[in-house]
Amino acid sequence: MMLRQAAKKALGLTSRQSTPWSVGISRSYHENVIDHYDNPRNVGSFDKNDPSIGTGLVGAPACGDVMKLQIKVDEKTGQIVDARFKTFGCGSAIASSSVATEWVKGKAMEEVLTIKNTEIAKHLSLPPVKLHCSMLAEDAIKAAVKDYKEKRLKTNGVGESSQA
Amino acid sequence: MGLIGDRRIRPKERETTTVFATEPPWLLQLQGFSGNYRGLSSSLKPFSILQEDEFHKLANVTMNHLLEKIEDYGDNVQIDGFDIDYGNEVLTLKLGSLGTYVLNKQTPNRQIWMSSPVSGPSRFDWDREANAWIYRRTEAKLHKLLEEELESLCGEPIQLS
Repeated sequence: MMLRQAAKKALGLTSRQSTPWSVGISRSYHENVIDHYDNPRNVGSFDKNDPSIGTGLVGAPACGDVMKLQIKVDEKTGQIVDARFKTFGCGSAIASSSVATEWVKGKAMEEVLTIKNTEIAKHLSLPPVKLHCSMLAEDAIKAAVKDYKEKRLKTNGVGESSQA
Repeated sequence: MGLIGDRRIRPKERETTTVFATEPPWLLQLQGFSGNYRGLSSSLKPFSILQEDEFHKLANVTMNHLLEKIEDYGDNVQIDGFDIDYGNEVLTLKLGSLGTYVLNKQTPNRQIWMSSPVSGPSRFDWDREANAWIYRRTEAKLHKLLEEELESLCGEPIQLS
């Protein structure tokens, strides 16, 4: 019995139920992604109705990804003082939106509009198939800024130029 | 407070930002994946509704066509690590150290999604008038974009249209 098994191994005819790890896992999450997944920054919500809050909601459940990113803007300076996010989706999507909330804090609104999905993807070493997650995060930032600006226009009334 | 969690649907949300799976496919397509802002662009032409089976037909033809053409292309160009695979409706094109392309059907949105080592992620909608898959943000056509990128990456032209 033992001889037969040894012979099999020598000939490379090992059982099909060989240990999974021998097949090799070719991909794993980058440590930055895992960090954001285990310790997500800025999870939560602001009050949508607060005039200093801009809300961006992007994606579709059917696609498997929904991101809500909210920014709190200082009306006087136009700076984003705080941000929150809630994301339904894969680890890469969660990490992308978490990174986005980190990066928008302390920046002016016009500056955060220049945040590119490629930068987020690079920071998280996203594989090709997950680049769409970083794009979604970029879209969420833009949507949040747009929402805030529209709210300001509404409260300021038509005909007045907005601060931002 | 009168809130029922985050699942309340406000008219404003429905207009501009929210896309839910319960909405009909034509509305999903109208709003588009990336087009969650009102008035995405003035050049946004009204594109007609694509039914799911029509989408599958068109997309499958496109994916298979690309697979065939790029396979042939791979035979002609000398790229280390060239590999193309079409499984589970995902087309993966490896170009060794030049990068990897991933193309897949995104059925809920009636779109073809591409991830390119050159241009990053993009999403193509079927445009009946142009008879092509078009990325609304840049007006780029899928076949043309791939032709340009592959030629610049691999040095050899390719005819995909």
